[in-house]
Amino acid sequence: MKERLSAFGYMLGRNIKVYFKDKLTFVFSLMTPLILVVLFLLFLRGVYEDSLVNSIPKGFELSKKMINAFTGSWLFSSIMTTSCITVAFCSNMRIDDKLKKTLRGFEIAPIDRFSLSLSYTVSNFITTLLICTIVLIISFIYLAIVGWYLSFGDVMLIILDMLLTVTMGSLFISLVGRVINSQGALSGVCTLVSSMYGFLCGAYMPISSMGKGIQNFVGFIPGTYSTVIFRQAYMNGILDEMKSKGIPSQAVDAIGKGFDCEYYFFDHKVAPWVLFVVVIVTIIVLLATYMALNLKLRHKKTQPTV
Amino acid sequence: MNNIIEIKDLKKHFKEVKAVDGISFCVKEGQLFAFLGLNGAGKSTTINIICNLLEKDGGEVYIDGLSIDDNMQKIKPRLGVVFQENSLDVRLSVYDNLKYRAGIYGLRGKAFEERLKYLADRLQFSDILKRPFGKLSGGQQRRIDIARALMHSPKILILDEPTTGLDPNTRITVWEFLNELRKDMGLTILLTTHYMEEAGEADYVVIIDSGKIVASDTPNNLKNQYAYDFIKIYEYSPDLKERLADGEVEFKEESGYLIIEVKEIAKAKEILTAYAQYINDFEVIKGKMDNVFLNVTGKQLKEEIK
Repeated sequence: MKERLSAFGYMLGRNIKVYFKDKLTFVFSLMTPLILVVLFLLFLRGVYEDSLVNSIPKGFELSKKMINAFTGSWLFSSIMTTSCITVAFCSNMRIDDKLKKTLRGFEIAPIDRFSLSLSYTVSNFITTLLICTIVLIISFIYLAIVGWYLSFGDVMLIILDMLLTVTMGSLFISLVGRVINSQGALSGVCTLVSSMYGFLCGAYMPISSMGKGIQNFVGFIPGTYSTVIFRQAYMNGILDEMKSKGIPSQAVDAIGKGFDCEYYFFDHKVAPWVLFVVVIVTIIVLLATYMALNLKLRHKKTQPTV
Repeated sequence: MNNIIEIKDLKKHFKEVKAVDGISFCVKEGQLFAFLGLNGAGKSTTINIICNLLEKDGGEVYIDGLSIDDNMQKIKPRLGVVFQENSLDVRLSVYDNLKYRAGIYGLRGKAFEERLKYLADRLQFSDILKRPFGKLSGGQQRRIDIARALMHSPKILILDEPTTGLDPNTRITVWEFLNELRKDMGLTILLTTHYMEEAGEADYVVIIDSGKIVASDTPNNLKNQYAYDFIKIYEYSPDLKERLADGEVEFKEESGYLIIEVKEIAKAKEILTAYAQYINDFEVIKGKMDNVFLNVTGKQLKEEIK
């Protein structure tokens, strides 16, 4: 057992070191968050500001600080939700090792297949978490500068959602990675996930502004639920502040609904605890599939992995 | 000597293609065993099965007395494998590459440093330990990869085209070291190669074609059995060709010399004695492994070397 743990530790250390030595992969992992920041600075901020100001009933006014905090919270909840998934997708070392034929060097070593698979998934989780933590810190610094309305509970909620979403992303790519056998397929999946996920989870435009069909469709994507948790955690503080400034609750709730702080699955409002249940159940299902596949692999191996 | 590798009626099919079609052979402890064949002959498939990278469809494989079916974790530390392509991380330094690989085999701390020093001295890479693996020349990379395979002191070293890309001097250095390991530590080497001189140096050669063993014996016996000797006659009297035709000795006229193929050296002696008065300058060339391969498979190995 000690030897098994030690081999796992070396494998994990190697995976993390190789990932951070490859600066290009690192930069590509951050591409989606960077694109979102650029989009925000060039277009989205203005659109959100206009949309927010137009939603405020006549006779009420928001301070510049509150407007900036609102748009900043929306931006970083988008960035966090896409980062947790897309960074995990684009930083999976196992696929890279398989394509470069480095993997077979480890498959002939006395590390069992389950520990080997687990080392890739855990290193994927750690590297994704590190990058997302950097994004998280940047988001806190930004909000502290433009306007901080987050409570301690909100911060904890964001961190918890980050951990859950990164776990979900790492497990999902570990499963999808098994069927990726070419560099083209890897690039395709990365591009598809980066662009589609950002759109479907409402990072570029709120889900509430999409068509009814798409709104219902995204309800079947577990990432939608973690996105709504991020939205609520980042934006509850500023929405409460609006209420405390005397803006009617109905108007504030409508703003929250319009900016995805609530999610309706076939016209039924999804309660905050249900959001967590969906994410946790998804993780359990992914984990069970992952374990089943890896344990099966220990007994049967019919195709070369290289 | 004991059989350290025993293969009985090994079979592997990929759909209709019989990649390995019921081959059996044994490798004795301390032996240099060469596996000769064109690409697609079944060499790499056999090696992948021995290394458990591929599951066999039939037959039995025993390594050091243990069946690969249920003892692979015990077998793995006894195997060192050098694949055709390097399997190390291009962005990590030579030192880090070897440290992580050794760690997975349970070799760390002082034991690792001592082993590293020994291998670095013998394979002449002490001065490049800190350099990134990807920045090294092809020959340097090959030496490091061989060191990687020897790091955990395996009993069997499997070399898949190991010296491809090595300059002649490095090839000599590598082989001198490997032969020393064979002599001093009883290392067994299973080699696949395109180089005839490497196969010619082996203790035992197996020629594989279309998944089947077509010949196997010591290089000398194979040459005696399958390779013809040649008499090359450079200077001769004008009557010689007529006399040879009268004596029903078959010959070919090449640019500047005549060439006579003889089954055995006694026949060469007989011809030279019979026609001595017509011959002024000649040489007798012993059959080579090239001829063995050509005569056994009907295929030119050189086609693949290009």
